[in-house]
Amino acid sequence: MKNRLADTRVFTGIYLGPGVGLIALFVVVPILLTAWVSFHSWNMLTPFATMPYVGLQNYRQIFGDPVFLAALRNTIVYSVASVAIELPLALLIGIFLFNTKARGSHWVRTALFLPYVIPNVAVAIVWGYLYSPIYGPFNIVLSWFHIPAQPWLGSVHEALMSLIILNLWQTVGYYTVIVIAGLTEIPQDYYEAASIDGATKWQATRHITLPLLRRAVTFIVIILTINSLQVFAPVYILTQGGPANSTNVVVYDMYRTAFNFLNMGQASAMVFVLFLVILVLAVVELRLLARAS
Amino acid sequence: MSLILRGSKRSWAYIWLGVITVISVFPFYWMVSSSLKTSKEIMALPPHWWATHPSLQAYSTVFHVVAFARAIGNSFVVTGTATLGILVTSIMAGYVFAKYRFRGKETLFTAVLATMMVPSFVTLVPLYYFFNRLNLIDNYAALILPNIGNAFGIFLMRQFIAGIPQELIEAARIDGASEWTVLWRVITPLLGPAIATLGLFAFVFQWNRFLWPLTVVNTPNMYTVVLALNSLESYTSSVKFANVVMAGAVVGILPSVLLFVWLQKYFIRGVAMTGIKG
Repeated sequence: MKNRLADTRVFTGIYLGPGVGLIALFVVVPILLTAWVSFHSWNMLTPFATMPYVGLQNYRQIFGDPVFLAALRNTIVYSVASVAIELPLALLIGIFLFNTKARGSHWVRTALFLPYVIPNVAVAIVWGYLYSPIYGPFNIVLSWFHIPAQPWLGSVHEALMSLIILNLWQTVGYYTVIVIAGLTEIPQDYYEAASIDGATKWQATRHITLPLLRRAVTFIVIILTINSLQVFAPVYILTQGGPANSTNVVVYDMYRTAFNFLNMGQASAMVFVLFLVILVLAVVELRLLARAS
Repeated sequence: MSLILRGSKRSWAYIWLGVITVISVFPFYWMVSSSLKTSKEIMALPPHWWATHPSLQAYSTVFHVVAFARAIGNSFVVTGTATLGILVTSIMAGYVFAKYRFRGKETLFTAVLATMMVPSFVTLVPLYYFFNRLNLIDNYAALILPNIGNAFGIFLMRQFIAGIPQELIEAARIDGASEWTVLWRVITPLLGPAIATLGLFAFVFQWNRFLWPLTVVNTPNMYTVVLALNSLESYTSSVKFANVVMAGAVVGILPSVLLFVWLQKYFIRGVAMTGIKG
């Protein structure tokens, strides 16, 4: 038996080593290094060890930079809008698909989820053509309803919205599936008891379904926030931050600052600002989740 | 009356199902139909809703414009290796977190879970520097290595393995099985659904990656499919080549689409597990 104990002790190391070690090496250590770099001036051409310390200068510079501030604002607008639109939509569609007795609804669920598994680069490319003002189908559909052709990605006013719609199309199915999973956890007798008490469908939804979905809802809000704050691919592919910085977002700005301008200090500061936003939001939302359950 | 009402309610349900399906499927339809158009038809105004003379011309072109076949091969090498690596490391670590006892286990597990919240852009700058210094730019190692330790995988495997009865493990140990045998001969054969779920997630996630490959790959020979699509888009931003770009996109999404349609119940289960039971 003593032998056995020694055995598990050895295997604790052998089994944990690769998984946990690689996470430490490629996630934890780089986070610390990014924090470190954000207090230095560095163009990556000089050795890491000799980069000069500049204190908070990088942070002061990015917060004085209208381009970064625009990127920060766009990122927040994009994320808030995504949560505000996708969450109710996922709830609505999820509750509908879960309850409907219409045949074929599981095929609809498959169709809805499908965009989530394909590369967002491919999605961006395809939507670029859908939005095309002259050759794209969207403006033709609008013309059926006598709505004038829209510039979509070409307009300062519509470009960010167009990216939000694209993201909505790609990800709403994923959040819907989470809603449906939440619904299957609700015991059916709650509804039976409610209907015996004479509750209407709406009352049952309002007082049983929505409160019991709070866990799923909080999870969706957290993931949706984290994911939309790091939007990059559609901006890189479709707008390069334009027109006139109207779709510049933090990760895109950071990428350019790092790899086009080789300003690693400022790029790292940008990373840390956004990472902090994500952390704070995640902690707040997790608190809410803990209270809900 | 109530029969009519019920009938109309049912038909409203079908109308909504129809609307959701059309919106979900239309971009796919447009992608495929554009890819089947000839370079003349793609320029038609107003655009045709379907390819009147469907042709595979765009598909043969896309393999000439960029090294698309090579990119597909690269993607399979990178995605396949990373997926296998994720499965192995996750099963091992998941087993320890589910069945072993040691001091600090809960803290370590929480720390691992916390890294799930770390977006990949946070580690980009130092990781690039690191792989650049090791001369591993344009190398499979740079594409594969940072992805193998996977917190989500460890979490998923721990959840599944925790559900396996302890007696099964004890019985094997009494029969003299080593810890190595217990994990790979006793536990792993019971993990079929977990392996399918994690394998799928890992495959799709790795196949779709963009930011990291974009950063560590420069030469077209090392492009993954996603990078090839990106370069295709920038070569050919004019509508004239829309059919070629769309053909590339169709080929690029095919593996994920096929895997998903074939194994979707594992996908749905994985999503449900992360969202609800987490």
